[in-house]
Amino acid sequence: MSFESRQSSLAILLLPFLLSFLSPMVSASVEQSEIAAEEQTDMEPWDQWDQDDEGKYIFCEYNSEGNAECDYLFPWGGDEQMQFKEYHSYETMKARMLRLAADNSEFMQFHEGLNGGTNARGEQTTSNNYEGWYYGHGSPWLKITGNVEGGVTNTFNGDSGNYPDRPDVMIVGNHHAREWMSYETPLLVMETIAYYYGKGPIDNDGDGLIDEDPWGDADGDGQIDDDGDCLSLAAEWQDSNGDGKPCNPGDFGVDEDFSEVELTNLVNNREIYLIPMLNVDGNKYDREVWVGNNCDGGEAWENGCATSGWRKNLRDNTVTGVTPIPDPDEAVDPACDGVDLNRNYQFEWGAPLGATGPLFPGMCYAGEAGPNNDVYNGPVDTTDQDDDGRLNEDHVDGKDDDGDGLLDEDWMGGNSEPETKFIQDLTEMNDDDGDGSSDYKTTLTYHSFSELVLYPWGHCTNCQSPDHEQLIYHGDQMATMTDYTNMQSSDLYPTSGDFCDWHYGVHGSYCYTMEIGTAFHQHQDDVDHIAVRNIGVAFYMAEMADNPRERADLALANVWRNQILEQPSQLVIPASGSIPVEMCLDTAFSIDYADSASHVMYRMVKPSRSQSDYGPGEWFSEDWSSVGFESADDDCELLNSSGTGYKIVAYLPIEDTANGKLHYKAMISTLSGTQKVEYPQNSQYYEIKIDYRAPFGSLFGSVMLFMTVAVFVWGGLGVCLRMMMVDPDEVKYLDDVSDAILDAELSEEDSS
Amino acid sequence: MSQSDQFSGRMGLIFASIGAAIGTGNIWRFPRMVGANEGGTFLIPWLIFLFAWSIPLVIAEFALGKRSRTGTIGTFRIFAGKHFAWMGLWTAWISTAIGFYYAVVAGWCLKYFQLGVSNGLVGENVDTQLVWNEFLQSPGSVIFFQFLVIAITLLAIWKGAKAIEKVNVILMISLFVLLFMSLGLSLWMDMADGSLDGFLFMFTVKWSSLSEPSIWINGLSQSAWSCSAGMGMAITYSVYMRKDEDTTLNAFTMGLANNSISIIAGLTVLSAIFAVSDNPLDTVTNGSSAITFLALPEVFAQAPGGGIGAWVMMSGFFLALSFAALTSMISTVELCVRNFVDHGYEREKSVLLTSIAILIFGIPSAMLWITIAPDGTAFPQFLEVQDHIWGYGLMFSGLFIAFTIWKYGYKKWRAHVESGEAAPGLSGYLGVGVSAFRDDFINTGDNDIWIGRWWDLLMYLAFPFLFTILIVSYFGDMITNTPNVWHPTNPHGITIILLFWGVVAGGFILLNKKLIQRPLFRNIPEGADVDISMLPGGDDDLVCEVGEYPAGWEHLAEKTEA
Repeated sequence: MSFESRQSSLAILLLPFLLSFLSPMVSASVEQSEIAAEEQTDMEPWDQWDQDDEGKYIFCEYNSEGNAECDYLFPWGGDEQMQFKEYHSYETMKARMLRLAADNSEFMQFHEGLNGGTNARGEQTTSNNYEGWYYGHGSPWLKITGNVEGGVTNTFNGDSGNYPDRPDVMIVGNHHAREWMSYETPLLVMETIAYYYGKGPIDNDGDGLIDEDPWGDADGDGQIDDDGDCLSLAAEWQDSNGDGKPCNPGDFGVDEDFSEVELTNLVNNREIYLIPMLNVDGNKYDREVWVGNNCDGGEAWENGCATSGWRKNLRDNTVTGVTPIPDPDEAVDPACDGVDLNRNYQFEWGAPLGATGPLFPGMCYAGEAGPNNDVYNGPVDTTDQDDDGRLNEDHVDGKDDDGDGLLDEDWMGGNSEPETKFIQDLTEMNDDDGDGSSDYKTTLTYHSFSELVLYPWGHCTNCQSPDHEQLIYHGDQMATMTDYTNMQSSDLYPTSGDFCDWHYGVHGSYCYTMEIGTAFHQHQDDVDHIAVRNIGVAFYMAEMADNPRERADLALANVWRNQILEQPSQLVIPASGSIPVEMCLDTAFSIDYADSASHVMYRMVKPSRSQSDYGPGEWFSEDWSSVGFESADDDCELLNSSGTGYKIVAYLPIEDTANGKLHYKAMISTLSGTQKVEYPQNSQYYEIKIDYRAPFGSLFGSVMLFMTVAVFVWGGLGVCLRMMMVDPDEVKYLDDVSDAILDAELSEEDSS
Repeated sequence: MSQSDQFSGRMGLIFASIGAAIGTGNIWRFPRMVGANEGGTFLIPWLIFLFAWSIPLVIAEFALGKRSRTGTIGTFRIFAGKHFAWMGLWTAWISTAIGFYYAVVAGWCLKYFQLGVSNGLVGENVDTQLVWNEFLQSPGSVIFFQFLVIAITLLAIWKGAKAIEKVNVILMISLFVLLFMSLGLSLWMDMADGSLDGFLFMFTVKWSSLSEPSIWINGLSQSAWSCSAGMGMAITYSVYMRKDEDTTLNAFTMGLANNSISIIAGLTVLSAIFAVSDNPLDTVTNGSSAITFLALPEVFAQAPGGGIGAWVMMSGFFLALSFAALTSMISTVELCVRNFVDHGYEREKSVLLTSIAILIFGIPSAMLWITIAPDGTAFPQFLEVQDHIWGYGLMFSGLFIAFTIWKYGYKKWRAHVESGEAAPGLSGYLGVGVSAFRDDFINTGDNDIWIGRWWDLLMYLAFPFLFTILIVSYFGDMITNTPNVWHPTNPHGITIILLFWGVVAGGFILLNKKLIQRPLFRNIPEGADVDISMLPGGDDDLVCEVGEYPAGWEHLAEKTEA
């Protein structure tokens, strides 16, 4: 009995020692990955991106043959569809959009179709006019902008969050029903915004660097994988998307650590209209009917279906949709029905280029037209819009064809479909600044497939638009970002009545068609990496929406490249007072001096006041502040011998007593609308060490404090030691001394 | 023959407790804190909290240990009650857990003393960062010096109080001498450029910063940590007090001596750095302990008097640092050993067992997970995590001491109410309860300094307030500044701390029952009788004096004699 008791007591007293075994074990698990990252080259994905850590970029598992298979891992978690391992259906897509809009109501708003009213052409519409012919759904869309519940409410379109000073961006997917990647990619854009909006700089890929690998080639070294983490993988892993090119867009580790700050800034400074699935009717039909009828019971990408499928909407061509003549069976006639939405826009509508015009209005002639029926551009207009007794005499082409002083007022056709009407009215009824022209400075539509970036025109060959150079410039940027080919739309094949010709031709919007992926019904294993490859384009389009023409002009003239923000090595820190930061700007860049438009952002990073005793140095970052520029009334040399520019300067109010690191970056805007171009780019910043500049103290003050401390501490110690030496009976007076010390202390505490 | 053990005199106790209080915290942490917290501004809260936190707690510790005559477990068992013996176990564990890695840290100091003596840190080709990184990354070397520290400690405490006393007296006096010598050289260096920048900085108050909470919080934590208040050291050493020892004067002496050394060390380090460094504040504030081993050798190498000056400065300073670390190590081991001895284990066995445990459990801190920080300096991340987990456990040791005092006051008041001697209301409690501990155990007549009502105020009002501030600001800071702070595998997170604390405290509470089934042997020197019936735990039959054996435990006596 007592023996047992003694044993257990020993155990009790030893327990602390045993417990501390635990701590090495817990900490050691973290240790391994760190060491791995330090020493290995030719790494496996799971060494590079720790698959056990939550939200860390990839997920790997071993298949039945023991080989590792890795997939993208998106930090928002969720099911296969939310992880882009499976296609969304219209229903699951809409459910997800509703969920995200509800959860992120401060910057996302869900809508379907439009409310209607009197549109820009004086037509009366209701929400019914924007619902698909057959299934009757309006296209679901999200309005994405900071404080989306504020701003002006547009009663026709139904959205709030309209701000005159925020450029608008339209991103449209799935004109063509079978091009499934074209709506998955906008959905990834949506998930990305919903997850990362408002988050501070995040190390997305868990490599210890933050925002070091944004979309595109950030550091200008020609390498898309800016941080080289894809390149440091073993060769077998470098081409994870299997397109034959190692470490190009879409592969693991390429453009995976973009700037959340930039994303948030974009959402706060743009109105993004995200319409992932324009052609709901056609998409439902393709998924629910066409695949079942044509793919021998396989999936949509099997049995030869990958590159076929239903393309158009579901207009009932049997009776040309003209009521009251009844359609005898009300079923979709796949040999006849439908309009190609991307041939139905009004600009230069009906030109017989890559589109089929109706031989006889109201006839279905699938037999005669053969495959061209797939690009049927809709019925010819039968209304005399201007009531002048002549029909369709002034076609939508930007010219006054009939010389009556009115432009494009009596069109031949086009915009006959609910889906294209939706786009047209969403565009024309959204005029926040009231200048009568479209707010959509940039527009983007995703299509499949061919791996191309297409810019207008589409309706004419051997022709150039007025913005040809600028369109090529931006197209090249996006082609670099995706490793796709940039070309004029009509150089692929001529098309009339497409989305981009209309947006550019009628509204001057810089419009691009991304032909993404390698199939219509792309295999579902390819969903994630194709979507990843193409979301950067959406953010690029949003960024340049302030003034795409000027951005391209300045870029083509190398103005961006030649302008200078003083680098840390060039900065002159005065012995005291504010620190001047200069920029040298090209005269072509007419800076807007308003503090809100152009400024230097800065913050101090100071050593943390309470450092870990044994760990590395810890730092504390202040919040960013900003200070405006003023003219320095001086000339300066631009970079690359490009001539003389003008100097501007901002004075950073850094205290003389500040000690630590100064972070700074400039954001400059032009008077003509280009907003907040960053120096340096990609939400990076410069860092410079700031030494303590103030005097360390005055002799008098320090001697006074020294005396005080010395009296308290050394004096007190002396008193104590003396008390120990003397007879205890003689120390009464020392009581008083020590009490006096304490009283003084306490009163000092009170007064402070 | 009595088996009790005691210090030979008052000076023995003073030197031992000063040795426990003065550690690396005074010599490398204090200058860093002064640098990071606006120089002289920091001295104000630091001084105030010496009197408002450290000294009152140490007074309580001395008073408790002097009566209980046992280590931390026994003290809580006797004073807080049978059900709270686990609090003593917690206190002992925190100190010992810190000891695991503190031995490694003390080993670093010894190594740098060796480097200083052998001129390994002076010369044109010496890159102090390289020296440090190479040392830290060679486990054999780190463990060798860790072993050396433990071996010296073991020898010092093998024979008990008298030996501890002797070692402490020698080491502390040497430390004073060495530090003063270093200070002289430092001031000389600083004067060489015509101004005493270091002195000016250290003693200039920036009044506008005095309203910043972080400076006050850092002043409080520096005061709490560097004095070892609440750690149980004073309880342990007061076991060896002679009968008429004055607890309060000892506490004041210990606290003031501790701060005196801090000032001297602070002035030494700051003067040297301000004399040499281009941006002295950067050097002082930007880092942790590694700064001591990177910046100071560089600075000391430029000491006046050429090679000899550098040699004297380097070896003198690091020897002083080693002595400070060693005396703290001694008290840590003794705290643990005392608890074993209290429960009937032989002293030699306990010392050996504790030393071996500290060696073994310190080895992971010595060699595991040596990481290179972004600035290229190596640091022992495993050790840092240990510090992260156990460092703030000290706060709770202090809380438990305060709890003991609160509980004693409450019990006494209730007893007086029942016997009709005190009013049942608040006025009765304030009259009898609040001052009970002070009346019964502090102002005993042996004390040269009479402790007034201020002590009650501090223990009942200021202590819980400051405790809350410290804990809230520590965790609040962690929550706002640490990514993934709740993730259980984040070694810098909160969950890992709470997990370890929870498991340890939970285990200790569960084992409390077993713990109090063992006899407790009080170390009562001759003539220092304190009748157990005077103490709250007087009804515990298993509490006896060394040399006595309670019923059912006589076999322990046989074993000892055999």
